[in-house]
Amino acid sequence: MNKVVTSSGRDVAQPAAGLVETIKRLFRVSEFLIFLVVIALFIIGAIVNPRFLGLENQKVMTRDAAILAIAAIGVGFPIITGGIDLSIGSIVGLGGVLSAYFVVKMGLPIWVGITLALLVGVVIGAIHGLFVTKLKMHGFLITLVTLGVARGSILVLTNGTPITGVPDEYTVLGQGYLFDLIPLPVLICLLVAGLAYYLLRYTFIGRQIYAVGGNIEATRLSGVNVDARIILCYIISVVCATLVGIIQAGRLSLGHPGAGEGFELLAITACILGGLSLMGGQGSVVGILVGALLIGVLQNEMVMLNINPFWHKIVIGLVLLVAITFDYARRWKR
Amino acid sequence: MDQQPLLRVEHLSKSFPGVRALDDVDFEVYPGEILGFLGENGAGKSTLIKILSGIHHKDQGVIWFNGQTINPHTPHEAQALGISTIHQELALVPYLSVAENIFLNNEPRRALGLVDFRRMNRQAEELLRGLGAEIRGSQLIRELNVAAQQMVEIAKAVSHKASLILMDEPTSALSSREVDALFALMRRLKERGVAVVFVSHRLDEVRQIVDRVIIMRDSRRVGSLPIAEASEEKIIRMMVGRDVGLFPKEAAPVGEPVLEVRRLSGQNGVRNISLTVRKGEIVGMAGLVGAGRTELARLICGVDSLSGGEILIEGRPVQIKSPADAVKHGIGWVPEDRKLHGLVLGMDVQENTTMAILQRISNLWGAVRQTEAKRISKHYIEALSIATPSLTQTVRNLSGGNQQKVVLAKWLSTEPKLLIMDEPTRGIDIGAKAEVHALMSQLAQRGIGILMISSEMPEIIGMSDRVIVMCQGRVTGEFVRGQLDQEAIMTCATQFLSVEGDIAEKVEAVAEGINQ
Repeated sequence: MNKVVTSSGRDVAQPAAGLVETIKRLFRVSEFLIFLVVIALFIIGAIVNPRFLGLENQKVMTRDAAILAIAAIGVGFPIITGGIDLSIGSIVGLGGVLSAYFVVKMGLPIWVGITLALLVGVVIGAIHGLFVTKLKMHGFLITLVTLGVARGSILVLTNGTPITGVPDEYTVLGQGYLFDLIPLPVLICLLVAGLAYYLLRYTFIGRQIYAVGGNIEATRLSGVNVDARIILCYIISVVCATLVGIIQAGRLSLGHPGAGEGFELLAITACILGGLSLMGGQGSVVGILVGALLIGVLQNEMVMLNINPFWHKIVIGLVLLVAITFDYARRWKR
Repeated sequence: MDQQPLLRVEHLSKSFPGVRALDDVDFEVYPGEILGFLGENGAGKSTLIKILSGIHHKDQGVIWFNGQTINPHTPHEAQALGISTIHQELALVPYLSVAENIFLNNEPRRALGLVDFRRMNRQAEELLRGLGAEIRGSQLIRELNVAAQQMVEIAKAVSHKASLILMDEPTSALSSREVDALFALMRRLKERGVAVVFVSHRLDEVRQIVDRVIIMRDSRRVGSLPIAEASEEKIIRMMVGRDVGLFPKEAAPVGEPVLEVRRLSGQNGVRNISLTVRKGEIVGMAGLVGAGRTELARLICGVDSLSGGEILIEGRPVQIKSPADAVKHGIGWVPEDRKLHGLVLGMDVQENTTMAILQRISNLWGAVRQTEAKRISKHYIEALSIATPSLTQTVRNLSGGNQQKVVLAKWLSTEPKLLIMDEPTRGIDIGAKAEVHALMSQLAQRGIGILMISSEMPEIIGMSDRVIVMCQGRVTGEFVRGQLDQEAIMTCATQFLSVEGDIAEKVEAVAEGINQ
């Protein structure tokens, strides 16, 4: 039996088949099923609150979903290798605060401040990767350390108060629109997604990243520089989270020390909804995008329906529970 | 012996997908008897032990134990019946004490369910002393050496009132002094009327300790001899004696050396190995499990690091520090365990086939050229006649023989100069075996040098131009085609015969062995 898409998302030539057969195949693709859920949520939203489909709300919703998607795509990389990055929530905070600090407190040009913040991200990601590859430490541990240390560093740096006075040229990153219609974060997200998609799906580096997640020993013995691939994945994860922090700071017009708290839960949930397995070796960028969209829509709807914000995390947690239960049930059936 | 047997096994059979592991095996064990099992790898010894200890389940046959038929489904069930097993890998909890391990789930209690540690330690020490071992009950398992841990494991079996103890290669990790201690312990068990089934590769050891020996070959029992009648020669002949003409290696012109290894040593137990593989030559590496053959392959392929010696490829010394270096120098390794080390099971045939050459077939932007990848995989699927419905078939769904061919395809696509093949036909059916052997002949004819590690004597004898025998990390013999004598090879594999090289080296090597 031929599959439409292999578990690792590689393009597969489809033999000609009837429409029924094509639809049947589509239903076996988890990304498609999640997409159906997103559509269902849209319909429910539109019925319950007419303002949901309104342009203003759609701008807000897509912007939030895009910001989440960038972080989710980033953390997807270590997950595909069979690792994880728990640090991204704190990194989001650090990215925003650092760039605001460079621009506001040190008076550096905006692009310099942003580049420096991203470079710090590269260094942190590289450190994670080195611990994971050279010390054979599980990513869970070293990124857990950063989750704490990065958040603490933010508090030391800001003394617990937000850095205000971010210039307009900076805030446009989070607040601006193209043609007064498409939020800039959505464009940034599409750019990131496009690059990630190309890297994972078409390049040898991407294919080797999937292979590492599938069987690291066999991949190493095939002569692949496994360590370099893993380090790259951890760098991408932190850099994406830093980028999210920078966008968030633009959106809020300030570097907030509490920004990004709990963001790792959302991003990892988006990945798992999108079909990534924590065992590694599986999933695609398209899936992650759909997963992030689902969470974005869900969060937006909860606001529109005036659900007490205290309940939001519970709902997201339960969605994660449903997703992983399905994932594991499917695995046992095999 | 005309007493009742403790255990009687009749017509026991067991199959795994694609392999018949046990075929109509009969035997019996009497109380107070030490019964040895001998056979090559894959002869079915371990499967037998695993069925009796409740890990695998029989397909057919009857097991009588103490006059009743039994069919243990879990290790716990077997233990409750009085059958305990000492596995090759010890099953103790490292961070608990000796006594806690012995009485795990069976701890002496005080009021309120508290463990009576003092009583438990005392009982454990008594138990161990009864077996001739002085070990403190409060000591942690991880502080003990393997031999002492084994004692603890046996004490645990005794505490479960086991009347039959199965030992699967218990001596493989022991020094000779520790082996003596283990044998003394086995004799004490024997005096108490406990029966022991002892599985080993080591002929000399088996002859020392057992009362009777059963010889297995190709999943069948081929003989049962009282030890007094079992000469070494006779045993070896029974172990290996089968049709050797199945595996013809076709003649190939032998050229310049591809691989030369000089005095190679590593932390992983390989000591001072020198050997040469020439173009078009198949060099067989014979020896027992643990002889250091796979470890030698790991050194050559840059998986484990060298502690001494040098490697030459086509006459030039090379530094191989990682598998990537090995691939760069034209070395391919078809590993022993294809699922663990050879394949990414969740990926498809094309991706596995091109795994080692992805970078080479990518364009400037790093994108893999799909048409090229497809062409190469198609080529090898046809050349190796891999039976797969398509290039996009996940390799997990292929049969063992076809999986093995995919591993081969992966390495052939790198156009290697040297192929190291570790147990190239393990766990694949006869038909696929013959195909793999024919392929090896063709590769040799094309000028590839092949270093073939095999534990199957017919394969070694049929395929090799030259055979190098290893034992305990060292080369213990070398034979050329035409002089291949399986009994002589077996003798080299089980003890030290003539060590090639100068005398000083030999003395040093032996001294090293004693110091360990």
